[in-house]
Amino acid sequence: MRDPEAIADLRARVGMITAALVGLMLVALTAITVLDVGGRYLFNSPLPGGTELTEILVMAVIFTGLPAITLDDGHVTADLLSQQLTPGGRRLQLLMSRLAAVVALVLIAWQMWTHGARLAGYGQTTVYLHIPVGPVIQVAAVVCGLSAAIVAGLALLRAPHGLE
Amino acid sequence: MDWPIGTAILFALLFAGIPIGYCLTLVGFAGVASIIGIDPALAMIGQVYSDAGRSYTLSVVPLFLLMGNMIVQSGIADEIYDAANAWLRHRKGGLAMATILACGGFGSVCGSSLATAATMGKIALPAMRRHGYSDALATGSIAAGGTLGIIIPPSVILVIYGILTQQDIGKLFLAGIVPGLLGIIGYMLAVRLSLFMRPEQIEALPRLSLARRLAATRGVAPALALFAFVLGGIYLGVFTATEAAGMGAAGAILLTAARGKLTLRGTLVTLFDTGKTTAIMFFVLFGALYFLNYVNLSGLSTDIRGWVLGLNMPPLGVILMIMLMLLVLGSLLESLSMVMLVTPILFPIVTTLGFDPIWFGVFLVVATELSYITPPMGMNVFVLRVVARDVPIGQIFRGVVPFVILDLVRLVLLILFPILALAIPRSM
Amino acid sequence: AVSAEVTLRLSNWLPPSHPVVKDIMQPWAEQVKEATEGRVEVQILDAPLGPPPAHFDLVASGAADIGFSAHSYTPGRFTLTEIGELPFLTPSSLANSLALWKVWQEMLADKNEHAGVKVLALFGHGPGHLFTTNREVSPLSELKGAKIRVAGAVTDQLVQGLDMVSVQAPSSESYELLSNGIADGIVFPYESVPFFKLDGLVKHGLRVPGGLYNVSFFMVMNQARFDSLSEEDRAAIDKVSGEALVRMAGEAWDAADAAGLTALEGKVEFHDATAEETAEIEADAKAIYDRVRKGYDAKGVDFDAALAMFREEMDKAAP
Ligand code: NA
Ligand code: NA
Repeated sequence: MRDPEAIADLRARVGMITAALVGLMLVALTAITVLDVGGRYLFNSPLPGGTELTEILVMAVIFTGLPAITLDDGHVTADLLSQQLTPGGRRLQLLMSRLAAVVALVLIAWQMWTHGARLAGYGQTTVYLHIPVGPVIQVAAVVCGLSAAIVAGLALLRAPHGLE
Repeated sequence: MDWPIGTAILFALLFAGIPIGYCLTLVGFAGVASIIGIDPALAMIGQVYSDAGRSYTLSVVPLFLLMGNMIVQSGIADEIYDAANAWLRHRKGGLAMATILACGGFGSVCGSSLATAATMGKIALPAMRRHGYSDALATGSIAAGGTLGIIIPPSVILVIYGILTQQDIGKLFLAGIVPGLLGIIGYMLAVRLSLFMRPEQIEALPRLSLARRLAATRGVAPALALFAFVLGGIYLGVFTATEAAGMGAAGAILLTAARGKLTLRGTLVTLFDTGKTTAIMFFVLFGALYFLNYVNLSGLSTDIRGWVLGLNMPPLGVILMIMLMLLVLGSLLESLSMVMLVTPILFPIVTTLGFDPIWFGVFLVVATELSYITPPMGMNVFVLRVVARDVPIGQIFRGVVPFVILDLVRLVLLILFPILALAIPRSM
Repeated sequence: AVSAEVTLRLSNWLPPSHPVVKDIMQPWAEQVKEATEGRVEVQILDAPLGPPPAHFDLVASGAADIGFSAHSYTPGRFTLTEIGELPFLTPSSLANSLALWKVWQEMLADKNEHAGVKVLALFGHGPGHLFTTNREVSPLSELKGAKIRVAGAVTDQLVQGLDMVSVQAPSSESYELLSNGIADGIVFPYESVPFFKLDGLVKHGLRVPGGLYNVSFFMVMNQARFDSLSEEDRAAIDKVSGEALVRMAGEAWDAADAAGLTALEGKVEFHDATAEETAEIEADAKAIYDRVRKGYDAKGVDFDAALAMFREEMDKAAP
């Protein structure tokens, strides 16, 4: 285990950036509904493309949150064994979890990138606002790739579990 | 890879503590690849992770979470507990009963069971411990009370069921009200049952004057107003159930601001928590969706349907069997993934047999609530471990036994009297 | 029963009671089995492998062998088949479907919009109309400001052009939107109104000759999977697909529409647009024609020639 303080520092920094970004997105998500419903009643004009903006923002929230969760080892687990495990057993469990996460995230990043590139090639857009879909997916793919690198790093540095 | 092998591997990995979403994705991938080949199975990963997150209807997940978290930030969650306490504290097991009532109250402005258990755990656990409640009863009542968060509207699980089966989410919400109230009553009885089964030395608290009770209740008014705004808006058709989440979140933000609690720091923490929980839930959802494709391709659903219908049982027998199946599955699976997995399999069976789809949604959620508190996989129990680190998990599971009993009673009542769920939505 | 040598998986996102499943997919699956003497079986999956817009890619990637969906679910990709979605085309799904198929084969197929798949059939639903809950539909000024749930880019453009407000929401929310009064109306073909249980809710219907819009669908099969079949089986599938399947689909939609219209009898008061009103809507629809023409220009296809052929084929199909 090298330099646990550096890892704690990184966790805090990423947490702060994520908090700001995700915060803005959630406020925007709320505002869109309010503008859509309010506009419909007050001005007889719902927010054009409100549903599409909502869809993209939900995706943005999910993938912006991913690196922070990854740094915390924060994904949901069934976690039945850990209380029975010895410290060594727990370290092995954490290592296995991280390996599974790296494999899964690499697959996800690679395939989302390919999928996004395919849609970008077709010029696929959203229905009303004509937002290109492919590039949005490719950005999410990059975030997944970054998260895979983070887990790999945590595994190599044998960093302690983020929530313990 | 046949589905019995695939599911066995899945459970092995789940129990080993590998993140649920990644387990589902990786085992699903191996399974799908064995059936249709590696390239299509890979492409399916790209498709699931790219498409499932861009969902208008699923926007209720972050927004209902935000609404609940904002209520915590505003301090109203504490006042809900104080109010419940004022009315019940002098009774036998009063603090535990107050916890149940407060969970129900908080559940009416929060869409998730985990958030309800986590929030009330932080507030109610210290109080109960201070007054000599056993760890088993204290944590058991919080874990059980937390499940009320997903049957009392708004409810993220009911939204997912509605999406999977194309049912009116507004009606599903309304159908959850009476079973939710029954849950509150049942769990309060369970507290007494618990004390009857294992008497405890609990410090009795003096009764409060009516004036003081009313004063404490005043704090609940904003939460009640928000609940009425969200449910009334759906009921009267001012907005759709999907829009209700955004309106509710906005309402909660306004309430927080009005109480002077909308500080930059606090708000950032709330938003950050909401974002993280959203991402965590969706990564389970993505995995479940991918695994669902494996289930579909492997013929598991066809096998189960053929088996159930082949038994030629009367509809009531089938429902009882489904109930048993859900209880077994629920003891093994995390609830969100369970609803996602069983709904496509069971829905065609029960509708073929003539059961009401709205009723079945409520039935499924009540059965799923049980899975939150039953061993070995009780999500609410795991959440409590974060709040109450020193309580051994076995204690918590022991504490929930009386609550499980009352939950079973409620399930049977729902089967015998479907009108309990259907009366309100039918009046719409 | 003798088990088939090959099973083709059809990913289906519609409920089993829908005419597309009951009267198109299932009969076609049986025809395939019969034509291949039981060697090829089409298995309609219990649940879809992805959401409706993903179905083209699911088939192209080989996740599903066969799939069905609407071209308009993936905007920007299929700009040529939009010719079958234009306002004022034809009262008959059969005529629309056959014309779309012929024009596609002759003029559009080589532009490769459906890359990676074998196109089994293209077809349209019946003519689309405007239904409202309380608003009168004539004169058109009555509709000003009415909130209408739209079905995609074409109807969005049409509704806004006529000074109505377009509400964008999934079709599964139609009932909630209308029953709550969040929307005042909806655009649908006859068939969809009872299907989405709107027949007690909508009171007025506005019709124009040939329909206000249409939606074009595809049914496609993974190309590699098709190529892997024996020559005999490929020929057998070809025999029951293509024009034969297009014809069956068109007839099925027309029958479903007729049944839908019967279900609406006495519940919906229809108004057929007067010559004046039709002219007003036509003027509005011009923008839609112009947009589709632009898509043709971009891909180097002569829009006027395609439209002329389309009309000619429609006349041949339903004189
Ligand atoms: Na709730
Ligand atoms: Na459980």
